[in-house]
Amino acid sequence: MTAEESLIVKLLTAAWLLPLLGFAVEVFGGYWQKSRKSKAAALMAVACIGCGFVASASALCLGIEWSALLGEGTKHDVMEPISGTFYLLGEFGPLVLSLDYYIDSLTLLMFTMVTLIATCIHVFALGYMSDELTDDHVDHEVHLSDGGHFHRPGRFYRFFSFMSLFCFSMLGLVLAGNIFQVFVFWELVGICSYLLIGFYVERKSASTAANKAFIVNRVGDFGFIIGLMVIWTSFGTFRFFDHEIDTKPVPGLFTMISRVEAEDAHHDEKHKSSAEHEKDEEHPEGEEHPEGEEHHNGEEKAEESHPAGEHATAEHHAHTMQLDVDDARSVVFLHKDNKGTRIADPVTETEKSIPYWLLIVAGVGVFAGCIGKSAQFPLQTWLPDAMEGPTPVSALVHSATMVAAGVYLAGRFYPMFAPEVLLVIAYIGCITLFVAATIAIVATDIKRVLAYSTISQLGYMMLGIGVGGWAAGLFHLITHAFFKSLMFLASGSVIVGCHHEQEMPKMGGLWRKMPVTAFTMLVGVIAICGLAIPFSIFGAKIAFSGYHSKDAIVASSLAFMNANQIHFLLFFVPLVTAGITAFYMFRLWFYTFAGTPRDKKVYDHARESPLVMTIPLIVLSFFAIFVAVGGEVGPLYGLLQGSEPVHVDGGAVSVATEGATAITMPSRHAIHDVHGQAGWYALIAAVSGAVFAYLLYGIRVIDPADIKRNFSGVHTFLVEKWRFDDLYEVMFIKPVHVIARWCTGFDRGYIDGLLHWLSRKTVDVSNWDRKFDENVIDGLVNWIGKVVYKSGRSLRHLQTGLIRQYVMFIALGVLALFVLLFVMFPA
Amino acid sequence: MDSTTLLSLIIFTPTVGALFLWAFDRKAEESMRYCALVFTTITFVLTLFLLGEFDRDDPGIQPVLVQVNESDATEYERLEAYHVATEGEVLDGVKLTAGQIVSDGKAYDESQIQRGVVHRWIGQWNINYTLGYDGISVPLVLLTSFVSLLSLLAAWNIKKHVRGFLILFLLLESGMLGVFLSLDFFLFYVFWEVMLLPMYFLIGIWGGPRKEYAAIKFFLYTLVGSVLMLIAMLMVYYDSGQSFDLQYLARVGQGLEDGLSFSPTVQMAAFILLFIGFAIKVPIFPFHTWLPDAHVEAPTPISMILAGVLLKMGGYGILRIAFPLCPEGAAAAAWWLALIGAVSIIYGAFAAMAQTDFKRLVAYSSVSHMGYVLLGIAVWKINEDTGATIGSEYWLMGMNGAMFQMLAHGVSSAGMFFMVGVIYDRVHHRDLNQFGGLMGLMPFYSGLAVGIFFAGLGLPGLCGFIGEVFVVLSTWNFSKPLAIVAAAGVILTAGYILWAIQRVFLGPEYKGPHKEDITPMNGREASIAVVLLVFAIVLGVYPESMFGLMRGSMKLLVDSLEIAMR
Repeated sequence: MTAEESLIVKLLTAAWLLPLLGFAVEVFGGYWQKSRKSKAAALMAVACIGCGFVASASALCLGIEWSALLGEGTKHDVMEPISGTFYLLGEFGPLVLSLDYYIDSLTLLMFTMVTLIATCIHVFALGYMSDELTDDHVDHEVHLSDGGHFHRPGRFYRFFSFMSLFCFSMLGLVLAGNIFQVFVFWELVGICSYLLIGFYVERKSASTAANKAFIVNRVGDFGFIIGLMVIWTSFGTFRFFDHEIDTKPVPGLFTMISRVEAEDAHHDEKHKSSAEHEKDEEHPEGEEHPEGEEHHNGEEKAEESHPAGEHATAEHHAHTMQLDVDDARSVVFLHKDNKGTRIADPVTETEKSIPYWLLIVAGVGVFAGCIGKSAQFPLQTWLPDAMEGPTPVSALVHSATMVAAGVYLAGRFYPMFAPEVLLVIAYIGCITLFVAATIAIVATDIKRVLAYSTISQLGYMMLGIGVGGWAAGLFHLITHAFFKSLMFLASGSVIVGCHHEQEMPKMGGLWRKMPVTAFTMLVGVIAICGLAIPFSIFGAKIAFSGYHSKDAIVASSLAFMNANQIHFLLFFVPLVTAGITAFYMFRLWFYTFAGTPRDKKVYDHARESPLVMTIPLIVLSFFAIFVAVGGEVGPLYGLLQGSEPVHVDGGAVSVATEGATAITMPSRHAIHDVHGQAGWYALIAAVSGAVFAYLLYGIRVIDPADIKRNFSGVHTFLVEKWRFDDLYEVMFIKPVHVIARWCTGFDRGYIDGLLHWLSRKTVDVSNWDRKFDENVIDGLVNWIGKVVYKSGRSLRHLQTGLIRQYVMFIALGVLALFVLLFVMFPA
Repeated sequence: MDSTTLLSLIIFTPTVGALFLWAFDRKAEESMRYCALVFTTITFVLTLFLLGEFDRDDPGIQPVLVQVNESDATEYERLEAYHVATEGEVLDGVKLTAGQIVSDGKAYDESQIQRGVVHRWIGQWNINYTLGYDGISVPLVLLTSFVSLLSLLAAWNIKKHVRGFLILFLLLESGMLGVFLSLDFFLFYVFWEVMLLPMYFLIGIWGGPRKEYAAIKFFLYTLVGSVLMLIAMLMVYYDSGQSFDLQYLARVGQGLEDGLSFSPTVQMAAFILLFIGFAIKVPIFPFHTWLPDAHVEAPTPISMILAGVLLKMGGYGILRIAFPLCPEGAAAAAWWLALIGAVSIIYGAFAAMAQTDFKRLVAYSSVSHMGYVLLGIAVWKINEDTGATIGSEYWLMGMNGAMFQMLAHGVSSAGMFFMVGVIYDRVHHRDLNQFGGLMGLMPFYSGLAVGIFFAGLGLPGLCGFIGEVFVVLSTWNFSKPLAIVAAAGVILTAGYILWAIQRVFLGPEYKGPHKEDITPMNGREASIAVVLLVFAIVLGVYPESMFGLMRGSMKLLVDSLEIAMR
């Protein structure tokens, strides 16, 4: 490891551990601070995460090869991954569990993004949470049994200590060098989310929402654990990277499952036999192949409409890659290097492999964890309830970072996903983005609209990853983190400005009172809708970050549909939803900021937030506009491509190449071909959604209430969130309680019942035993005693005390004895 | 210090303390408490000495002794500095075989050395006073003295018959330490029974309203287990040419002694008897119903001992006696063991969810958590035809995970019971539906309690996680359905613990009686809770601290059982 690399590791470790240190000090803030009015703990939290940002940003600057990033060559040289081990958790023969680090450009990017957004949100929270800076805080939402409100000391320090703990966990998740470690921090961010959602512990709704969030996540984690078990048993390691155990090289997961070149399944549907494969195992990836030529031709056609920087990458890896499967396509062989050399047992010479279905189980299992964490269908129900937490929490945990961790993991673990798993991911994302968007249309709580929008956008990211747009999905993750945290903070600013009013029907016209908030929110709204001026001015499109990333996802799904006609829904649903997104986001903006005030009391008391809250808004809106500058030739996308799994470029094929189960991942250049087309579609959808919202809520040509009346059934269904909560209540929660009661009943009724029965029977037997003793044995003894006694008594009469009589008895006795003697022994 | 002395001191220091207590005036309760505290502290320090003496590179039983002169097989002295030769090691130009003991430039075969200190006790029946320790018992001995010390501190507010309580408490500690240190089956049995009586009285006299019922239930359950163990003991005694030596019996059981071995039938029968005997102690479904009653009625410190140490004796017995003596029985029963382990996990969690008594909930959580111990021990997958073990490293991991789970549960459940005890001392009820708002009334207590409950929930970074997840990960290799069942436990565990936390600590106001008595923890209570939470964190963050101790011995056990089955 070079000095530079070890410096990067140290910087990231510092950025990771500083918040933990902060937490350990801050959590006792109630003791070491002089009063609840002190901001010391909070400032410490800000300092920790701020230093973390500086460290991460320096690491990013140090770590990447700027010439490769800004130049026109392939982006795979942007950064060599750095990996290593902190310390061992346990070691059992060849099985090693440890805390590792794996740093590539994605890690660095995530670190910088998380720490930057977290810093902004921490600063914002200094203002937002300032009503906690008191010794007597009144919680108006809690009604006590005596009719009063709940009074408590302020908990400013506690909020910041939990935020620090969260930052530590989130950064640990990103830094993790093995999937087990990801799981460790996965749970830790979960518990931080629990603590922060339930920050107002006195509110029943908050603690219930916190429980729901954690337990629903655990349902996903149940799947995650199954995935882990499969990986652990089949691969024998959790590490992503190649490493050494006792100086013996051990391949990491990504190497073991590395793809081999497909026998161009697109073109001639021919399978290469396993034997041929072995001969073939040496060919390097970049070698010229006939099909490579073909792609090259296509590339030239595409060149006209696309910037030059891209096609070099596509050219470099234009081979279709697939898993190294056997003829029957039932097992996947594991590799010990990236050239496709299979791992063979030294003794038996059998090649190490994993059954194909188990690989799918592993992938779907790990993805189940992502479903829970990223609130995807069918586990999406916890996220809207999680809005019970303070708004900065919603901004940081429940929009920008933790919920995106599911997408991050899906991206990080992408090499392990078989095409079938990717299809599952795509469909889950597709369903989620539609369901959540429809609910967002009818939500009236400003934070809930944003929550559903978050779910929907996370669905987009999942879809992007699922249809083979690896970089597109993560691209959207980064841009979304900025604009969504911006919007949450802006909504937080509105909520504070309106004295904790969250219902949009009571707002309206607020832009006059809070211009900065209104303006920055508009930036976020435009960014999420993907509005843009689609013509190049000064060589670049005028577009905010969301346009570029959503465009990339829609293009990927269009290319995917082109390659797999049967999965057309994966393109049309997100396209329609892009319109819905624009509609509900503009509805939110118009509802809140435009028009005439609907509730005079709220409007009169509304005020712009202080600088400590508006400055983070401005910083975030800057990034929401510019972070994706340049689109797919910009630096951000280039950074992501630096970490892209090698088989993404050329597209990949599923194991079955024929029939309905065939899945073909679009190659990069296939996506490029449709990019312009997809961009237009998405833009048209977004603009129509926005226009529609303007008509309804901006100038009110149609009264939304009429629509509500005409479609009251649909409306109720949507307001009730597609009735998932009711369904789960009936399907899971009630049965669990019934079984729980049944178990206790079984203990008391049957096991203890049996024991009690046994003990009663033992007592019965003892009683019988006693009776037998008393009546039979004792009776017999008593009878003998009685008889003896009686005979003794009767014999007593013989005892007269007369010597003569006694002498006569003796004489008679002796006589009798002699007679007996002579009778018995006559001789 | 001489090894015999050290080991005997560890076991009998509490007994001596119990005798000492007679010297006090009946009214000098405070002095008696301090006296008992001094003796438990000395015991704890002695176990730390033992940890210092323990050589973690030697997987076998320690101390290692060598014959003083070749002809006399009765006099041994301890080898101070030695190491176990590895394959291919050369000493003075002579190639050594693996397993030879090298000390001071000399190599000894296993036949020349003796592992563990042996003193003749009842010669007529070949009963010896054999003590020794290895990587399996040392962590448990430490846990015992540690939990005993904390429990004694937790017992400070026992007001009734203080002397009697302390005497019984110290006798109990002697019994527990004796169980973990004795290597003679008869001695083991004696200590096992010694432990039983003090426990009976501690529950029966100092317990809650239904103490008589609970005490008798506990006593009878355990006695049944003891009787089964006694039968098995006599079986192996007569089948092995009348020996109670556990090391020798294990060699016989594993077929390493010429001409002597237990037949498969004997192994099977003895295993079942031993297993039920130990399973009652663990406790494992369906032998668990004594536990909730005993816990609910027992005073807080006794609950801590029960959950923290006594339950581990079952697991220890399975590891030390049932498996090594009857490998064939164990292998044949492995699937059933794993099944009831998995069932215990789920059943205990479900039952915990339905409880309204706080202590009962914690008690059922013990049933659930101890299920992982059995599951981890049982994941021994054997190729039926060859007898070869499939994926032995996964079994090794399961064994280690099970052992770790015992230690982790010792810390977390003792902590949970203590936390329940603290609030019970104040409000004198345990009805989950009559709590609430403690976070506001006792913030420090609530913070610590939530931390300890999170350890029980299996949160990463805390001790409960490592044991559970290691066991679950190792189960997939053994049986996929059982692994899935066991993994489902994580959802239920989160459910009942979070629900309990919500009902007790969260919410705006306290709903039960005696609100005015809710005061912050005093220094004694706070320090017990802090120490337990700190240990929960240390074990969770750096589990290698414990794995490092047990690794060698676990490997030896797994390897020898594997060889026995081939």
